[in-house]
Amino acid sequence: MTTAAPPQPLTVQGLTKSFDAKTVLNGVDLVVEPGTVLGLLGANGSGKTTLLKCVLGLLRPTDGSALVMGDNAWDLSAHTKASLGYVPQEVSSYPWMRVRQAIDYTAAFYPSWNHGLVADLCERWRLPLEERTGVLSVGQLQSLGIVLALGHEPSLLILDEPVASLDPLARRAFLRTLLDILESEDRTVIFSTHITSDLERVASQVAILREGQITYHGGLDQLKDQVKRLRITAKAPLPPAFAVPGALRTRIDGATATAAVSAFDPAVVDNLRHTWDVDVDVTDLNLEEIFVELHGG
Amino acid sequence: MSHPPEIFDIRPSAGPPIYRQLIDQARALIAGGRLKPGDYLPGVRRVAKYADVNPMTVSKAYAQLESDGVVERVPGQGMQVCAPRTTGSLAQRRAQFRAAAQPAFHHAHQLGLSPDDIRRVLDDLLKEYQP
Repeated sequence: MTTAAPPQPLTVQGLTKSFDAKTVLNGVDLVVEPGTVLGLLGANGSGKTTLLKCVLGLLRPTDGSALVMGDNAWDLSAHTKASLGYVPQEVSSYPWMRVRQAIDYTAAFYPSWNHGLVADLCERWRLPLEERTGVLSVGQLQSLGIVLALGHEPSLLILDEPVASLDPLARRAFLRTLLDILESEDRTVIFSTHITSDLERVASQVAILREGQITYHGGLDQLKDQVKRLRITAKAPLPPAFAVPGALRTRIDGATATAAVSAFDPAVVDNLRHTWDVDVDVTDLNLEEIFVELHGG
Repeated sequence: MSHPPEIFDIRPSAGPPIYRQLIDQARALIAGGRLKPGDYLPGVRRVAKYADVNPMTVSKAYAQLESDGVVERVPGQGMQVCAPRTTGSLAQRRAQFRAAAQPAFHHAHQLGLSPDDIRRVLDDLLKEYQP
């Protein structure tokens, strides 16, 4: 017996979005498999929010397509909408509503609202249920937004900078919850961030958005295995002709040089040792360092 | 015996990928005798919870250790440390050691050590080494 494959959570092809003369997304291609935790990494203004809004059907693409669970993002079916969860960058709520009322109000839209999960999250994040949402701190408002997005247990959860306004403790609490909900089933999570240390804990995949295009998409582990820094030490000053094959950039300073490579190959290192009679140290880079190297240092 | 997740020291923001930190640390703990043959690695979920990392990453490390023959999956029990064993022909094992030792020789050359100096260091190392 064969079972139908679950629909692809996200298939983006040639997605372009311009605002008047300004092109923000310039041919984005991105396919996300079920059960993936994808960290969307990009500098400020790289188009992360625009991409997520196109995927959610909140913005209409200028060109190209975005399919969410097989549905055109601009024309989502009620069923697909019910399996989507979204936390915007800035959570807004009716300021006169109490937290409890805001939750009940949202719950009323969904036939399958998990009241137990929501009560649990509110307790863990110490959300003041009787407080009016208008007086909540930014962090509390963000937590409320996440609770509201998780209540119907979406199969695709999209978070736009979910932790940017949270303090370190609240961020850690949020990451734990994210890890908790990942354990249960094949849920796909896409979250944009520029906080690389959070991404390193939870993401299985990374997509790097730069100048409106995806410049890397793949496993976080593979990325860390591929991008390395080489420290080269020679006995005499290195000649100007010295170069590391495939380097993003090479900086020579007398008898030492540093180079960052995006596709580490031990054979290249051996070759350097033998060709130039140098000592080569290979350093692992963390995601923040990789991000900086890939953006030209 | 079974070990607590605290035997691992995971740094998500360090350079090496988390799965490789786990593999390297497990191997080092075994080499150093802190994990003995027959011992169990801490469970995947406990490690993930303790370190606040994705459990899939821990599973990936354990699967790699299993396919490398370092641990063995015991159904219902977990990952058990295997007794050390030699695989491959003597020639293959020599080649493996040769590959591991080669960078050290290059380093010695950089330091300006003569072949005799290198031999002396090697002899000392062999005398001191106790598995």
